[in-house]
Amino acid sequence: MATDPSALGAPDPDGLDAIRLTWNALPRSKLEASKCVIPLAACISPLRSNPNVVSLPYPPLRCKQPCLAVLNPFSQVDFNAKIWICPICYSRNHFPPHYQSISEDRIPGELYSACTTVEYSPYESNPAAMPAPPPPVFLFVIDTCVIEEELEFVKSAMRQAIGLIPDNALVGLITFGTQVHLHELGFADLTKIFVFRGTKEITKEQILDQLGLSGRNMGPMGPRGPHPQVNGFNHPSGAVNRFLLPASECEYTLNTLLDDLQTDQWPVEAGNRSIRCTGVALSVAAGLLGACMPGTGARIIALLGGPCTEGPGMIVSKDLSEPVRSHKDLAKDAAPHFQKAVKFYDALAKQLVSQGHVLDLFASALDQVGIAEMKVVVERTGGLVVLSESFGHAVFKDSFKRIFDVGENALGLSFNGALEVNCSKDLKIQGVIGPCTSLEKKGVLCAESVVGQGNTTAWKLCGLDRSTSLTVFFDVSPSERSSQPAHANPHAYVQFVTSYQNPEGQMKIRVTTICRNWVESSVTEELVQGFDQETAAVVLARYISLKMEMEEEFDATRWIDRSLIRLCSRFGDYRKDDPASFNLHSNFSLFPQFMFNLRRSQFVQVFNNSPDETAFFRMILNRETVTNSVAMIQPSLIAYSFSAPPTPVLLDVAAIAADRILLLDAYFSVVIFHGLTVAQWRNMGYHNQPEHQAFAQLLQAPQEEAQIIINGRFPVPRLVVCDQHGSQARFLLAKLNPSATYTTAHEVAPGSDIIFTDDVSFQVFSEHLQRLAVQS
Amino acid sequence: MASLQPRPPPNYIPNPNQTPNLAADSFQNLQISGPGSAPPPPTATSGPISRAVQPPPGPVPRGPFASNGPPMAPPSGPPGVTPSMIRAPSAQSVPAPFPGSPPSNAPYTVPPPGRGQPVGAPYMTNPNLNPVSQPLQVGPPASAAQPNPMMGLSASQPNSMNQNPLGSMGPRPFPGQPSSQPYPGPPALASQPVRGPPQSFPGQTFVGQPPMGQPPMGQPPMGQPQMGQPQMGLHSMGPPSMAPPSMGAPPMGSVAPPFGGSAWQGQQRQGGMLAPVRMAPAGMGQQPMVSTPGAVMGYSPHAGAQVSTPSKIDPNQIPRPVPSSNSSLVYFETRQGSVVSPPPPATSDFIVRDAGNCSPRLMRCTMNQIPCNGEILTQSCMPLALMVQPFALPHPSEEPIQLVDFGEMGPVRCIRCKAYINPFMRFIDQGRRFVCNLCGFGNDTPRDYICNLGPDMRRRDADERPELCRGTVEFVATKEFMVREPMPAVYFFLVDVSMNAVGTGATAAACSAISQAISDIPEGPRTMVGIATFDSTIHFYSLKRSQQQPVMLIVPDAEDVYTPLQTDLIVPLGECREALEQLLESIPSMYQTNKIADSAFGAAIKAGFLALKPTGGKLLVFQSVLPSVGIGSLSSREAEGRINISNADKEPHKLLQPADKTLKTMAVEFAEYQVCVDVFLITQTYVDIASISVVPSTTGGQIYYYYPFSAVSDPAKLYNDLRWNLSRPQGFEAVMRVRCSQGIQVQEYSGNFCKRVPTDIDLPAIDSDKTIMVTFKHDDKFQEGAECGFQCAILYTTVHGQRRIRVMNLSLPCTTVLGNLFRSADLDSQFSCFLKQAANGIPTTPLTQVREQIVNHCINILGSYRKFCATISSSGQLILPEALKLLPLYTLALIKSVGLRNDGRLDDRSYWASHVASISASLAVPLVYPRLISIHDLPSKEEGDSVLPAPVALSSEYLSDEGVFLLENGEDALIYVGGMVNPEILQKLFGSPSLEGLPSQLVLQQFGNDLSTKLNEVVNEIRRQRCSYLRLRLCKKGEPSGMLFHSYMVEDKAPGSLSYVEFLVHVHRQIQIQTKSN
Repeated sequence: MATDPSALGAPDPDGLDAIRLTWNALPRSKLEASKCVIPLAACISPLRSNPNVVSLPYPPLRCKQPCLAVLNPFSQVDFNAKIWICPICYSRNHFPPHYQSISEDRIPGELYSACTTVEYSPYESNPAAMPAPPPPVFLFVIDTCVIEEELEFVKSAMRQAIGLIPDNALVGLITFGTQVHLHELGFADLTKIFVFRGTKEITKEQILDQLGLSGRNMGPMGPRGPHPQVNGFNHPSGAVNRFLLPASECEYTLNTLLDDLQTDQWPVEAGNRSIRCTGVALSVAAGLLGACMPGTGARIIALLGGPCTEGPGMIVSKDLSEPVRSHKDLAKDAAPHFQKAVKFYDALAKQLVSQGHVLDLFASALDQVGIAEMKVVVERTGGLVVLSESFGHAVFKDSFKRIFDVGENALGLSFNGALEVNCSKDLKIQGVIGPCTSLEKKGVLCAESVVGQGNTTAWKLCGLDRSTSLTVFFDVSPSERSSQPAHANPHAYVQFVTSYQNPEGQMKIRVTTICRNWVESSVTEELVQGFDQETAAVVLARYISLKMEMEEEFDATRWIDRSLIRLCSRFGDYRKDDPASFNLHSNFSLFPQFMFNLRRSQFVQVFNNSPDETAFFRMILNRETVTNSVAMIQPSLIAYSFSAPPTPVLLDVAAIAADRILLLDAYFSVVIFHGLTVAQWRNMGYHNQPEHQAFAQLLQAPQEEAQIIINGRFPVPRLVVCDQHGSQARFLLAKLNPSATYTTAHEVAPGSDIIFTDDVSFQVFSEHLQRLAVQS
Repeated sequence: MASLQPRPPPNYIPNPNQTPNLAADSFQNLQISGPGSAPPPPTATSGPISRAVQPPPGPVPRGPFASNGPPMAPPSGPPGVTPSMIRAPSAQSVPAPFPGSPPSNAPYTVPPPGRGQPVGAPYMTNPNLNPVSQPLQVGPPASAAQPNPMMGLSASQPNSMNQNPLGSMGPRPFPGQPSSQPYPGPPALASQPVRGPPQSFPGQTFVGQPPMGQPPMGQPPMGQPQMGQPQMGLHSMGPPSMAPPSMGAPPMGSVAPPFGGSAWQGQQRQGGMLAPVRMAPAGMGQQPMVSTPGAVMGYSPHAGAQVSTPSKIDPNQIPRPVPSSNSSLVYFETRQGSVVSPPPPATSDFIVRDAGNCSPRLMRCTMNQIPCNGEILTQSCMPLALMVQPFALPHPSEEPIQLVDFGEMGPVRCIRCKAYINPFMRFIDQGRRFVCNLCGFGNDTPRDYICNLGPDMRRRDADERPELCRGTVEFVATKEFMVREPMPAVYFFLVDVSMNAVGTGATAAACSAISQAISDIPEGPRTMVGIATFDSTIHFYSLKRSQQQPVMLIVPDAEDVYTPLQTDLIVPLGECREALEQLLESIPSMYQTNKIADSAFGAAIKAGFLALKPTGGKLLVFQSVLPSVGIGSLSSREAEGRINISNADKEPHKLLQPADKTLKTMAVEFAEYQVCVDVFLITQTYVDIASISVVPSTTGGQIYYYYPFSAVSDPAKLYNDLRWNLSRPQGFEAVMRVRCSQGIQVQEYSGNFCKRVPTDIDLPAIDSDKTIMVTFKHDDKFQEGAECGFQCAILYTTVHGQRRIRVMNLSLPCTTVLGNLFRSADLDSQFSCFLKQAANGIPTTPLTQVREQIVNHCINILGSYRKFCATISSSGQLILPEALKLLPLYTLALIKSVGLRNDGRLDDRSYWASHVASISASLAVPLVYPRLISIHDLPSKEEGDSVLPAPVALSSEYLSDEGVFLLENGEDALIYVGGMVNPEILQKLFGSPSLEGLPSQLVLQQFGNDLSTKLNEVVNEIRRQRCSYLRLRLCKKGEPSGMLFHSYMVEDKAPGSLSYVEFLVHVHRQIQIQTKSN
């Protein structure tokens, strides 16, 4: 049962396809599948950059309706007849004329067996037909209900951003507090601001009318008078240069605006929160983009400094005596604004998705700002979300900057993505968890049971980037015929087709086709071999998170325990009723530990966090790669000491030693923990003495490692540097297995540490597990 | 005490002339007199003395008449003429009809039926006579007549005939005058030398003349009496439709005398208290019903015939507003002990000494004696109403209103009715108690306020205490009168920048006007300003200093508006003057290319209101098009009315009602938060004033109307109007209540205000131009000899943020004698009352009915007089009460006025109605019966010190084709150019020998010649008098503009309406019918 921390530097577990399945061998029958406990699911990262992905400068060749699968290495090709057979639907397709020259010696890229993933650039062969790449659009929505100091941080972040934004990018600015201020950047004479009231829900049509963008200048009173009115602002393009200007043109204006920008001037009554109309501000932003830029990629970048206290999307009243809702309130249905707000943001999400636009949230406040309610928008549109304590905090500053980075570290923000999944007919698609929205393309491949965004085989990803990851859930439902061995095809195929607009504005289509084997029900070994415990843990975490949100009274801990016990019963190697005999295959060996940590994680133990934090964690969990997600569930811990090179150590309180430095990567936070002695040495300044170079290096090593982690991650994790017994040490201790608690304190070796908790340690947990798994 | 008068001169003494002058300087260079030199508006003409001199000129013109006269001299004629002639002299003395003085009856007699014929004469051309008449006349006017012996003269010839009668009268008056002057008042004078003499004297000497003259004198502010007549003689002599002269003349002569005599006698018998004017209606003969005994006329009984209405009234003898000579600056003492003198006419120039009753400028009653009971009042058919103009401009020579501070105790008041202490409270019991003059309650005098009584039973300190000896005082308000700190002076400007507003130049004009006007606003720390513009959205501007550039904040939701900022929208003027000026300069160009045609007026004022809500203040809105979008948007009802004719025909007056209640509801809310809205309509289209005007009229504001807007000529007026609006004496967050003695009670208030409780009216703002009419009804009786007291108290905040109570008192004797009521009737007030009632009726009643009601009202009053006070005279005579002798003329003018004409545009009519609602008594008459003067001969006229020449009657007969005339009604001025004017004159006046190419909306310029200089002086003088910058319009004969001008000739016959003479006939006939039927 000993669990080795996952080895660092292992080959990319995601491989070329960037697809990881929970089971790489598929149980043939529904019954078998259900016995497998862990659902069949694929975690895909459609835009994951990989130098080995072949780029094809022409559009993909598709199977006939309704399959539309793309020609792929698994297709059977008859080079003589110029015919290919689709592996998914078995249709025979003639190659079109421009493929006529193919032969066994001359095969197109998509048919190379290694090219299970290819990327098409449909316009590259014919640049003339390519529409001019639309410029990226950034519409900033800035909260001004913050203290001066915070606003200054925002301003400096904004100034920096303005400097980084590509010249051709269109920029717009909305500020809000009690009211929403939409700045008309194209107005030269003076600062021109459209002001919307924060109390009233406002439809897109009203916004357009009121901005004079609707084309009918007649106002809401309807047509009147026989003479049609001449209106110069009819055309959306007119609107573009009023509110959205190329960065190069509005840089000066923006900077002036920022200089003059003040905190919200409406008075805040004593005992009240600031009046903040986040909901209306976002509505206005969405409306404006809808008018100016429908169908082209655009981001609303919202910088929030507090909760919405007025109008639609309000999460708490302005009266300070009413606290912002907690998980307890939500559980007891005692959050009066929650459902209404969620409904509002759900509608906003629909609007943004239909326009193809993205909402990014940068919440920087000590209190909650309503991410829990806004989660739906961010997740449906594939937006980014960053949660920090202050606009002055590195988490915000560095993350915000990252958006505009180009080159190596660029996020590769892409727009207008669409994912289609096609698969062998014995598989059904239950749905997707992740930053996307159903396109409601129903078909025979849709499973009856739904997980996440289901009932469809296509999803919209308004915003996606290199690390965007989705979890596709499958259901095994063999037809009568295919379950008969005679007709059985040994392979199952799944094809993922992702079309998107890359950061440069070019249309790309990436196609990944995977092939997995069916396993006859009796052969457990194959199933075991095909099990991916990391993916399974992540999928389970996502699945549980979803269930916790969707189902009231869902007892996640119990569900995890039962699942784990069932899994262990099914795949463990043991003698009945003999816990000591219990053993697990190495493919499963880490899984109980994952589950142990999942049980204790922020995803399950939500009561330790605010709903906003939970929403934030879950959104990141859902959109990150498997590797990163595993770190969220079970942080990695590295020990630095004089005695050994940096070594991964068990995530256990026992890892703490006075002469060690520990580096914890819990994904959202990175903790550098100095053992007591190390801290003392450092405090005495030894590292500054030339004769103690080694100590300086020891101190430096985890810092460098942490920096590497931070640089490669979005949102930027919080870096905590702490000493043993310091107050910040809790960031480490909370993650460690409490193998030594105050109840066992007398046994503790000097220099190590204990955790003040009543939680069971992993050892106790596994003992119970073994006992229960072997029960008959 | 004077020092207490808190008004700083610049702010408080409105200087309208300065205003026009400034405008002139900046816009047109038209003024001759420097702004500084020009006296303030109230004092139309400065030198009282100089005027006094005027009488002499009077006689001169008469001379000629006199010479003519003798031959013809119909007896009745003279009275008519005489009054006018006499007035000049008598004008100095206010006509005070004393109960005892018989002469005051002096009837205005129109020749009996027989005479009417002579009137007809004009039609007959009598070339021979012409020469006669011309020489007779004063030199200058003759010139006009001479050139055209043929045409105009032909008309004038008959006139000559008429003149003769006139002349004949002339002689009499003439003699009368001299005598009257030297003799100032043997009989009546004894007690009151100044006033009495004319009345009593003339009466005795000549039948009827003298008294008559006096009362009328006061009324019209217009030209001098004498002048008027000669001119009439000259130009217009014969009413076109009159009978041949030969016919007329003889009868007149013969018949008239008896009439005159009888009338006179009759009156004497009655007690001589009345001053009726008698007229023998010419038409009598024609009327089948009436059998006129003496009617010689055998002529055409086809009365209706246009051409020859054989009216027997001599048009030159019928009552006309004989101008109170400019020369006479009257000193008026409001009381002399227990004697209450009727005030001089509202339109005249006078100086008031407050001796217990307040100045008639502030409060003026329709009758200067109060009927003891309701029956008498009903019988008289006259209205009992007060015209209250609480901030009326005083004459500069008058003592300022004194401020009284009772300290923390606050003003002494009757504990029962809460009336404020006033000169009519009677102290008893050695001063320890006082009896309220309104409710009769005996109060204990506050200890600190006790003072012993003198032998006359007055408090010994009465003369030192303004509140005990002055009709008007101001009290410092104590905390009790404040619900909050007194508000600052806040002005918020709202400018329409929709496509049409920008296109027509209205936006630029408004911005420029605001920019100039604010530079004149005193920059107190409490003066705050704000500005917003609007089209289909509302654009606020944050004028805070700290910003690099001003911030425009747009409120785009015109359906549901809000303010974009809590602060910074309204900023102390001192902090934002520069920013505001820059902004105003850039607004027109900023919206140069605005393509938004919609204008959200309702939303804009709502937004402005929200900005003003915390403080209250004035909202000045510059609107250019029909509000087409947002809250309170309006539809083009006018056009719809035209399309759907059947509907419009059925109830056209519905279009004069507000379209819906939205704006009214808003306005009431505005008033509640002390926001006053003034609307400047700078437009070239229909804007539905009927609906819009509800807002200013409910909030104590007013409408300004520039239609059709001309970017060339109107900005000057706009600026002057705005400047006056901001700088005139005014108060904020006012509450007004009128209390009166037990016996009567307030029936209704009418004017521009909001009324939420039955007793008080709320005035978010009140200024010197606004008048509130208060009507009363009896609920009890007064004792003969008692006095009825009125007290108007207005609690307000000054522009400097002081809370005060202005209290005005008026105490009038009560009478049971109907005749006294007629004698003490105040024509100006009564006419104002009719005018306002007519305006009230416009939106709810078909026009024909409104007109009918007015005419009936007039007939009823005159009929009542005829029935009860002049019973003895022959039914063939139309006998008018002296005080109301012009009522028929004004009534006629009223039913022909813009508001009641059939052909008026909806907006014109609505504007008229809204304008009239708050008009003062002094401007009511000119509005309806404008002043007409000739200007082609200005420099040659000798008018004493007066700048203005004598006015001409509003009859086209008096217009010569060679002449250039100026007609003004206090709002607009029309310059009429005849068809054959000497190009030299045109060159002098307009800088061009022909009118070709001159815009009809004229900009007056200085051309450096006498005539031009004089014209500028004249126009400036009028502006000064009217506190209004007139819109000048050029009217050319034979063009539509000429037609417009002619529509003001109210004495003329026009299609569908009667001439003056015909109207008199009609009135007489109706009275006869009434009398008969009883």
